Amino acid sequence: MIAYTLSAGLLFGLYFSLAALGLNLVFGVMRLINLAHGDFLMLGAFLAYGLYTVAGLNPLYAIPAEVVVFMFAGVILYYAVVPRLLASHNPEMLSFILLFGLSQIIEALAVIAFGNDERAIPSTIYGSRPVSLFGQTFPVAWVVSAAVSALALLAVYLYLHHSRLGYATRAVMASRDEAAGTGINVHRVSAIALGVGLALAATAGAFSAFMLGSIGPDMGIHITTVSFAVIVIGSLGNPLGTVLGGLVYGLGLMFMETYHPSWADLLPFVLLIVILLIRPSGLLGQRVRLA
Amino acid sequence: MCPSALLSVERLSKRFGAFAALDGLSLELAPGEILGLVGPNGSGKTTAINVISGVYTADSGTIRLEGRPVGNLPIHRRTRLGINRTFQVPKPFKALTVAENLEVAAVHSNAGREDIARHLDLLDLSPLADRQALTLNSAQQKRLDLARAMITRPRLLLVDELGAGLNPAELTRMAQMLQEIARSGVALLVVEHLLGFLRVLTSRVVVMDAGREIFEGSLEAAAKDSRVIDVFFGH
Amino acid sequence: MPRGVWFSVGVVLLFVVLPFVYGNHDLLFSMMMYLVLAQGINVLFGFTGYLPFGYVGFFGAGAYGMSLAILLLHFPPFAALIAGAAAAVLVALVLAPLLRLSGAYFAIASLAASEVLYYVISNPHLTSITQGPYGINLAAVYDSSASYAVMVAVLALALGMVVYLRNSRTGLALQAIREEPVSAGFAGVNVVRERTRAWLMSAALAGLAGGAYAWHVSVFYPKPVFDLNISVFAIVFTLFGGVATLSGPVVGTLLLYGLYNWIGISQPQYFQLVFGVVIVALVLFLPNGLVSLLRRVGANVP
Repeated sequence: MIAYTLSAGLLFGLYFSLAALGLNLVFGVMRLINLAHGDFLMLGAFLAYGLYTVAGLNPLYAIPAEVVVFMFAGVILYYAVVPRLLASHNPEMLSFILLFGLSQIIEALAVIAFGNDERAIPSTIYGSRPVSLFGQTFPVAWVVSAAVSALALLAVYLYLHHSRLGYATRAVMASRDEAAGTGINVHRVSAIALGVGLALAATAGAFSAFMLGSIGPDMGIHITTVSFAVIVIGSLGNPLGTVLGGLVYGLGLMFMETYHPSWADLLPFVLLIVILLIRPSGLLGQRVRLA
Repeated sequence: MCPSALLSVERLSKRFGAFAALDGLSLELAPGEILGLVGPNGSGKTTAINVISGVYTADSGTIRLEGRPVGNLPIHRRTRLGINRTFQVPKPFKALTVAENLEVAAVHSNAGREDIARHLDLLDLSPLADRQALTLNSAQQKRLDLARAMITRPRLLLVDELGAGLNPAELTRMAQMLQEIARSGVALLVVEHLLGFLRVLTSRVVVMDAGREIFEGSLEAAAKDSRVIDVFFGH
Repeated sequence: MPRGVWFSVGVVLLFVVLPFVYGNHDLLFSMMMYLVLAQGINVLFGFTGYLPFGYVGFFGAGAYGMSLAILLLHFPPFAALIAGAAAAVLVALVLAPLLRLSGAYFAIASLAASEVLYYVISNPHLTSITQGPYGINLAAVYDSSASYAVMVAVLALALGMVVYLRNSRTGLALQAIREEPVSAGFAGVNVVRERTRAWLMSAALAGLAGGAYAWHVSVFYPKPVFDLNISVFAIVFTLFGGVATLSGPVVGTLLLYGLYNWIGISQPQYFQLVFGVVIVALVLFLPNGLVSLLRRVGANVP
């Protein structure tokens, strides 16, 4: 039982790391919380679902389409609103509210386009034989999702630490003003970061039908909250800390579902509050309120 | 401890991680006295003001106002006991009008309408009374910051880089205002980069480096002191 | 006479008179409920700058506090209503440490807190106390006109609270905290005490509204009284009209909730779309709400 819980926790942990990574990347670069993050993940889920129902496409092969479409959407979204918001007198709160409005728009459009029904992609498209891992057996779809998540995390690591653009991205994360001073095109770097953030969310969306059971237009806000919990547990503004947060959350979730299933829904919210209150270092760095 | 001291600070220390911003700073200030606090960037001047005013709590050391320890009190308690300050970058209540800014601060000193009008007048803010604070220029915001501090009737005023960004006429006017405040019995601790501005205000300075005092005396003597010269031009 | 008193009296009288000429009392009741919640958001967000996404948690706590006081303690309805408000205030006291968080962190943490409350109350393990997922039945004390009258009184209280904040130095001190908490301290304001007071007042309003709602509908499930959309509606109504004013949340609620009842009930997704567009447009073009437009042309609005 323990061995199963641990290995399932690992698979889900990797998946939740991917689901939350884009949110953290965007936060790290722009210091804004993308409240529409979960809604972009939902759109990614529906894109994969659409490609599956129309063309019978395996969600694995939907990833390139997801990345292109959502990179593009992120860059457009950035130039449309962010520079304008950053110039206002309360960018943090205004961007938060604006992205909340955007999340409402996306959810409404998704309901209008797809209806309110929950959808699912049969996980048997990867064959019905379960895979054996660490002496336990799991659905293939879980293992594929976790493997893609691990690869995506690795790709983001290589991008941040072994590419010119990634180097510039990390400079902007450290200090927007100083990065601008050294001649880095901060807007370009940020726009691409938002694009990468949305592309990561959409990629996670492609597998959400397997990992979350079903997909629906109203799943966004829950995903955003869970993702926020994951990045707070890890380290806010540090994309690779997300992996730690994802694993803690994935393992916690599996243990709760195994031993206290009726309280499992509480987990992300309780973790979020407890971490925000007891380990606020790094969270309050921008604008400290005096207690 | 000198019996006439209004403020006495002893062996104040404050670390941020591995960095010792204050490392055993001691100083004393009498009513009506103006003390200049100078030193290179990062020497701990602003941290000293932040710790004395209550924005940060010191790791060790004592802060006394007329012998009473105030080092563990929250900001509003220190304010009500007579400690106030201005900020290097002024922090007015931006969405409120200039007059409302002062009204907020007037509540706890029981200052009335006349007091607000008098302070507006004193700091040349009367014509701006009904403007939102965010529409003020930097020099005006600095005067508003000072007015907000003064209306609480402080006995100790901590002034952080008030001269920076002011033009010569504004500097002269600001120096006059600070001198008037000191003449009324308020003790002033003035952190200042502009030594010319400081020279007009006071002859007594404390020079800081790496969180501690390295010199105390007149500005003229400081300029000839080898340690001071070393700190400002040595590295 | 303080500014805004006549406006408030007018709004309250409107809801006293309307039931005699307009038949849809449930709509009038929900309209009042959102007017109260919008003013509660206004007390907290408008005056202190804390955006409580989980505001609905207080509403649900009020609804459950009231109901459980009747079902378990056999309180009469009016006493139970006070118990509902007390439950909300108690929750607010427990959650007061969240006020240490700034901006968006506070907003999300408060959302998480309301979800925790929902999952605890609706948990099947607690059915013997809270009825768990099976909901509350207060049919024994159902009284449509008494609960309507109570909501009118709560509305009067909410408007009175904002009139007070608009005209008092307490209200000014809260706005100072919103703008610059550190400077507020140097103005002698006890930042922690004042913001906690605003938090508790705001929670009490939502608790009273939740209690009155529970009494009015008398049969309900946990989901609708902890529905995030209740927070969202109240926040957007307030933003739309204009925060830190008396009339803004009233105007915002009357217009947008009116619109919701016109197109929203049958086609919620189209209303949600309009809603989202309104939010985005507000942030980009009119961050101080509709009332600021009236002010700009020189109108003297409370």
